Amino acid sequence: MRKSLRLHLSLAAMALCLGPLARAASLPDLFNERVKAIVAVEFFTETELDRRPSITPAMVADSAGTLVLPPGAINSFVPPDKLKDFRVYLPGRPASDYSSAEYLGQDPVSGWHFVRVEERLRASLVPVTAFTAPTPAAEPVVGEEFWGIALRGKDEDFKPYFMASRISYITSMPERTAIALADLAAPGLPVFSPGGSFAGVAIAGFGQTYLQYSRNDRGLPIILMNTEESSVFMLAAEVAPWLARIPASRSGRPIAWSGLYGLQPMDPEVATFLKLGDQSGCVVSEVLEGSPAEAAGIKNRDIILAIDGKPLPRFKPDRVVVGFVDRTLALRRPGDTVSLTVLRGSERIEVQAKIDEQPKMFREADRTYFERLGFTAREFVYGDGINRRVKLAARRGVIAQFVKNNSPAGTAGLRQDDWIQEVDGSEVKTYEEAVARLAVIEADANRTDFVLLTSRNGETAVLRVKLK
Amino acid sequence: MKPATVKESPLPSITRTITVFVFAFIAWANTVDASVSRGFTRLLEAVVRIDVREESFDTGARRFTAGIGSGVIVSEDGLILTNAHVASPRAVELSVTLASLERVNATLVGWDHWTDLALLRIDLAEVKRRGLKFTHADFGDSDQLFPGQTVYAVGTPHGLTRTVTRGIISNNRRFFADNRGVKGYETGLFNTWLQTDAAINPGNSGGPLVNESGRVVGINSRGYLGADNLAFAIPANIARRVVAGLAADGAITRSYLGIVPGALLDLEGFYALKQNTGMLINSVDPGSPAARAGLRGGDIVLTINGAPVDGRFPEQLPPILNIIASQPVGATVTLAVKRGDQALAPVLVTEKLESRQGEEWAFEKWGLTVRKVSRAYARENQLDDDTGLLVIGVQAGFPAAVAGLGRGDIITKINQERVVSLELAKRLYADFVAKPAPALIEAESDRRVSLYILKP
Repeated sequence: MRKSLRLHLSLAAMALCLGPLARAASLPDLFNERVKAIVAVEFFTETELDRRPSITPAMVADSAGTLVLPPGAINSFVPPDKLKDFRVYLPGRPASDYSSAEYLGQDPVSGWHFVRVEERLRASLVPVTAFTAPTPAAEPVVGEEFWGIALRGKDEDFKPYFMASRISYITSMPERTAIALADLAAPGLPVFSPGGSFAGVAIAGFGQTYLQYSRNDRGLPIILMNTEESSVFMLAAEVAPWLARIPASRSGRPIAWSGLYGLQPMDPEVATFLKLGDQSGCVVSEVLEGSPAEAAGIKNRDIILAIDGKPLPRFKPDRVVVGFVDRTLALRRPGDTVSLTVLRGSERIEVQAKIDEQPKMFREADRTYFERLGFTAREFVYGDGINRRVKLAARRGVIAQFVKNNSPAGTAGLRQDDWIQEVDGSEVKTYEEAVARLAVIEADANRTDFVLLTSRNGETAVLRVKLK
Repeated sequence: MKPATVKESPLPSITRTITVFVFAFIAWANTVDASVSRGFTRLLEAVVRIDVREESFDTGARRFTAGIGSGVIVSEDGLILTNAHVASPRAVELSVTLASLERVNATLVGWDHWTDLALLRIDLAEVKRRGLKFTHADFGDSDQLFPGQTVYAVGTPHGLTRTVTRGIISNNRRFFADNRGVKGYETGLFNTWLQTDAAINPGNSGGPLVNESGRVVGINSRGYLGADNLAFAIPANIARRVVAGLAADGAITRSYLGIVPGALLDLEGFYALKQNTGMLINSVDPGSPAARAGLRGGDIVLTINGAPVDGRFPEQLPPILNIIASQPVGATVTLAVKRGDQALAPVLVTEKLESRQGEEWAFEKWGLTVRKVSRAYARENQLDDDTGLLVIGVQAGFPAAVAGLGRGDIITKINQERVVSLELAKRLYADFVAKPAPALIEAESDRRVSLYILKP
């Protein structure tokens, strides 16, 4: 108790001094202080057969022990209840000493995963927002120097190390993003100004093209990507507010959904051809069935020109506009109305779409593993209907989410992602029905075989699964 | 086998057996020798080398490639039987080298990729003018072949003219179908194959597989790459029918119902069928006559037009499919179908069987080569309909490549007009050539629609 009080006092003292000291402090001091906004997170993804460990750096979002993991750290198809045993390591402390944490969910806008560490570690952490510049800084300029932190591996106790570089280029992706001359932080970790202000968050870097020469290949182009360090960071002004986007539930809901599928950028040449001048735009490849976009009257191949009357900005590369539209719509809440201006043929049409809640996602789908049969049956969700071009009315059966090698189902020819429509010659309408019937087969030790009607790439097949 | 109690060294008995076999072999070899001298000589004179120059469209331009195959003359009036993958409608120049080492031009009479057979005709006027001579081979009865029977392959492996290799029939009823087996066209669905261990190499294609008396029992077609002595030939009895059909009409027209069968194997019990009855429907092509009649995967076809069918093993399926394929297009087919306990008797009207492979074309000034989307391709790829042209090649630096089009894109509109046919696209292209102006292309790739501008 007394110890923690002392810590609080020293923290408060530090916060008081931070402003005036920041400019005067040496870089090693700044570094050591900012390492407190960084941790390493380990967790395990539970599958039917094993537990797979993953390790990712994370930054501290607030004083409640909330940690932010980069989007790629967790496969968003994995159900949250399969993510187990989150462990948080302080950089440079013995890896044997870790704290546990719980998964909070993925934010649909930033893609960030949120984790909350147990109470006892929170006092050792400083939120990255504590280093926000006291007065909003102007946007960085080319040539300015920035620095960041990356972590060594677990075998080296996640030792933090210093990195620095200068900005060579700033662009919109659609967030304002700086590209430095060299790697300056681990993806997912903050980037700081020379004075130690929070300047941005490093994101997974871009691949760089090299030519590979070898005895057999002359100048074979290859793309190299450093997955541990990055030279690209989103500027804090835009992404700092995302630190507060802690999901209300592990599912990440509410998630805004409009039902526009396969947005593709409109080329400037196309805009000229269509006499749209330098207007930017986005082609809607498909309007999904039962979606807000369908209800609003948007048609396949309409070209979106404006959202709420504001013309879409033009980006380079052109495809960034897709991210812009996605992000703009994702920031709405289910129930909001959004107005879209679309070009259909040569006609401009204004439509109102009422944003809806995203239909059940893969990671939310129920699933059951049948060990004796050797496969996992997963609920057929909205996305399955899209992937298989199935109308809502024709949805039925279950999806083989996993098939164990050399299991009865695997030997019979069942493959992952096969759509199971019938069990023993009669249709399975719902997930519950499928599971109930498969459970009976699984439990029946006298059963010698059973028969599935499956569909793969639109073609069905009868599979006889031999159990003995 | 002698009982173990007999104390006799096994050696003498083996020696005896070998001796008997050797005698038998000598006697047998003698009789074969006699027939080889007659039948074989005649056969060898009927085998030709075929040099093909054909167009190809896969690089964004019309290009020409050359190939070598084999063939066998099967009629007095100079019809040559070969593989469809040797001589296809893409051939622009066919030249035949006779056994006398004289070269003569030939023309394509017709092809049938389903059985991998094509028929050529020697330029008879040229033969007459130059006073050339050739003989023709006779067909044997491929139904009489038995596994273990000695056969010979004659052809031009790797360009080595008139090479004879020997082997046996390894299996006389092998089933395999290959969806892209003949230059991207389907093959093997309606016939079984002869399997032989006679060495078949590239260039053997289209040459005859013959028995000891030099009669053609098969047309060599393919070997397993990377395997030893696993080669396949189209049985002569099938080839014979195809020759007649191609000679008469230039094409084999087949009927289509849209049924994809599966071997019943051990499913009789599950479907409560008598042994060796019925053909399992694995899948039904969407939009096909079978789909319109309400058939679906898991149904069992018991009879076709009253005749019972037996599809227990994979090699029994081609003959059944051939019954359907042999119906006239537009014919009514009545099936007896079992679905669970229900008995159905759907009446279907056949459609013309079409390949998934559509016509190919080059739009030279765009640096773009395309293949028409066929109904089968559209079905296979779950496209809404057969609108569009599949991009099979773009040439770097030309308008299509510059605009960003690539292989695999499906061009659905040109200047806002839906590309319902290749002819329409050709017309729009002709407009572009006559009066060059930017053209707007709408193309789909993996369900994503993009717009491109082709600039002159």
